Amino acid sequence: MISVLVAGIFTLAPPTNVVVSDTPDDGGGAITIEWQLSADDAQLQRYEIYRSEDGLKYDKVGFIGRGRNAYEDETQDRTPYIYKVAAIMDTMRALSEPSTPVMSSAQWLDRNKINIIITVLLLGGMILYFIYRARRGRELYVRKISGLQAIDDAIGRATEMGKPILYCPGIGYIEDIATIASLSILGEVAKKCGQYDTKLINPHFDPIVYTVAREIVKEAYTDVGRPDAYDPDSVYFVTDSQFAYAAAVDGIMLRERPATNFLVGWFRAESLILAETGASTGAIQIAGTDQVSQLPFFVTACDYTLIGEELYAASAYISREPLLLGAIKGEDYGKIIIVGILVAASILGLLTKVPILQLFR
Amino acid sequence: MKTTDLLMKIDRRIIYLILLVVVTLPLIFPSVQSVRVMPPVEKLFNAIDTIPADKSLIIDFDYDPQTLPELEPMAIAILRHAFERRIKVLALSLYVQPLGLATNALNQVTAEYNSKASTRADSIIYGRDYVFLGWQPPPLVPILGMGESIINVYKTDYYGNQTDTLPLMQRIKNYSNVGLLVSLSSGDPPRWWIEYAQNRFGLHVGAGITAVSASEFYPYLQTGQFSGLMVGMKGAAEYEEIVSSQMGIVGRRKASEALPSLTYAHLVMIAFIVVGNIGFFIQRRHK
Amino acid sequence: MLVFVFGILGIIPFIIPHPAVQNVDEYLRNNLLKILAAFALILGLGSLLRVHIDKMKRKGQNWQYSWVLILTFVVSAIIGLFGGVNGTGILPTRIGSFPFDIWTIYLNVEVPLGATMFALLSFFMASAAYRAFRARSTEATLLLAAAFVVMLGVLPFGNRISPHLPSFAQWIMDVPNVAGQRGILFGVALGMLATALKIILGIERSWLGGGGE
Repeated sequence: MISVLVAGIFTLAPPTNVVVSDTPDDGGGAITIEWQLSADDAQLQRYEIYRSEDGLKYDKVGFIGRGRNAYEDETQDRTPYIYKVAAIMDTMRALSEPSTPVMSSAQWLDRNKINIIITVLLLGGMILYFIYRARRGRELYVRKISGLQAIDDAIGRATEMGKPILYCPGIGYIEDIATIASLSILGEVAKKCGQYDTKLINPHFDPIVYTVAREIVKEAYTDVGRPDAYDPDSVYFVTDSQFAYAAAVDGIMLRERPATNFLVGWFRAESLILAETGASTGAIQIAGTDQVSQLPFFVTACDYTLIGEELYAASAYISREPLLLGAIKGEDYGKIIIVGILVAASILGLLTKVPILQLFR
Repeated sequence: MKTTDLLMKIDRRIIYLILLVVVTLPLIFPSVQSVRVMPPVEKLFNAIDTIPADKSLIIDFDYDPQTLPELEPMAIAILRHAFERRIKVLALSLYVQPLGLATNALNQVTAEYNSKASTRADSIIYGRDYVFLGWQPPPLVPILGMGESIINVYKTDYYGNQTDTLPLMQRIKNYSNVGLLVSLSSGDPPRWWIEYAQNRFGLHVGAGITAVSASEFYPYLQTGQFSGLMVGMKGAAEYEEIVSSQMGIVGRRKASEALPSLTYAHLVMIAFIVVGNIGFFIQRRHK
Repeated sequence: MLVFVFGILGIIPFIIPHPAVQNVDEYLRNNLLKILAAFALILGLGSLLRVHIDKMKRKGQNWQYSWVLILTFVVSAIIGLFGGVNGTGILPTRIGSFPFDIWTIYLNVEVPLGATMFALLSFFMASAAYRAFRARSTEATLLLAAAFVVMLGVLPFGNRISPHLPSFAQWIMDVPNVAGQRGILFGVALGMLATALKIILGIERSWLGGGGE
């Protein structure tokens, strides 16, 4: 009796102003439903969303917590839907007015990505411009990168000592830019190993990277006229388990005692294990990675470290090919633009905190 | 051997031996090191402590054997806190590997309480005081589904009981009956709880994470999306400390026992660095 | 040419959400890449086996370890292929109450071994820090001082030295450390863009092997 009285006195306010639209910038199959919160929102348990194709029979398609006024429903394209939103409190339910019919569809452009496209076109355009300029024979300056300058000496050291060179490309996959940069350096190192008849040991973590590296090393030996010196067992797959790979490479370092270790590529926690074991054998170590978290370990334990983009510049630096050097120049100008924007934004940010701009009002 | 050589070229085996001794001795002869409780842990403690009597705590166990040393002490400390306050607990996991570890933690703390209890009312009873829901793949299914109905997502619990027959599940229906969720994880789950459960249903979320992930999750604490945060073994030790000092809970404090090892290992490293630099400066002076 | 086509095919789905484009991208990623990876895995395993079998035949240095590798490889492959993940395959993987299915082997062999290797990090960190952290220059001294502050600040001990030490350590992690990281990340991001462009446009070909024109 009391509950009937209470129910009679208290009517739940429904959500109002239900607006439905095709979810923008997507591949279709989604409709966004928005509404104004119920006046009793603070007491609600949730909102329920109902959908109909004919305006007569409605099915519940979802729910969302109180205080929230938007929901995205999965739909079939080119089918009109009508929506109602219900405010729920215990057993009470208050339905909104039905929405207008709407159909979902796929878009051909994601407008949220326009700023990224513009930035990529700008920076990419600048890089291509400098590559074009480099084609016209202009000499381009690149600062000294100690790690790359040391490659020749490091390989020479191994040759004189009659010991092998260990080249470890890390635990990245072929789609990692650091791995691709590492493979470029591997090609140059393999050429020198072929010229000087130095043994190369190249264990791999990823089977795809292994197959690419195998061809690179083979071609490198052929390029310098020493296809006979190429040992197919010098490039091999070990395991795709992180620490098992680290254990395997450590074992190689301790048994084979290479004179030079190259630790160039994408690394994670095993980086210090590899670098420190190599240091304990007395080998000269050249490392390079774009993983910021691993750089301190390499800097500490290795003789030379290529930091971040120095690794990507390696191929251009070693080959001195004008087109590649032009790309580095383009990158540098891109960085200048970014730094300029950051400085300007920081100054503006400071000005808005400190009311200097008030003086100009 | 010259003094500078002695200082600058200590055999690495000696370094390893000293480190081994300072790390293992405190573990063999455990002692509890008191620690200052930092604000993020204090916030989490208060968030759990102020859960209303009609609401529950959900603990998401998402650690594996490798991260167990850091995260299990957090789980045990939180369970002790919850059981002492008679806060009802729902336990679950988003992956299969932590299930066994979650069972261990729940059974350990339950046994601790029941060994001291004299009546049924004092005891921690499964189904009345806590329920272990288990695992329901993929992870997003329980995160989203529990917003409407927990028993619809978990029709049976980890032990095979029908969840709608358990006394606790008669009153804990969905997130509106949950005061706080704490995710103990070494990966992305705390972020998922924020993105899906908090954004859609307003669920309050806290987290216990490994030290390595700290920099990723601090922004969520700064914005208030996390109600509190425990980071690494020190975070676990801080929670053990606050639970012990504020509630007088007695029990083995694994993180606090391991903290001396951590402290002495750091001090040993600092000592070796200082020794090496002394030798370096002496050598430089002679030159 | 292939690199150019597939490079462009990788960029386009990023800006065009339409299913006509997304389905092609999904097929390439989920099907083609997986097939390539499977074949590469076969090549990789073949290489591993060949290297060790050769070593065993000619009794090269440490050839006994090659026996261990081949044996464990064959045994775990058979158990994994025919025993099922939790012992649900055609091969029985239990002797009494002692299971040896692939999941048990993984949990009791692989996981502890991985944890052991991970634990070595602390020892290596100590020896690396001792060897390398010398105040050779002003920058190195500054780095050393920051390292001491952070190491002491995160310990309970640090609070006894000064109650401000933990906050100062946190500030070092939050401000100068993050600033330095962000600088490197900007460079890395630009470098990735440039390298990817060079590869897609065929300007950079050294990774193909044989380099040249």
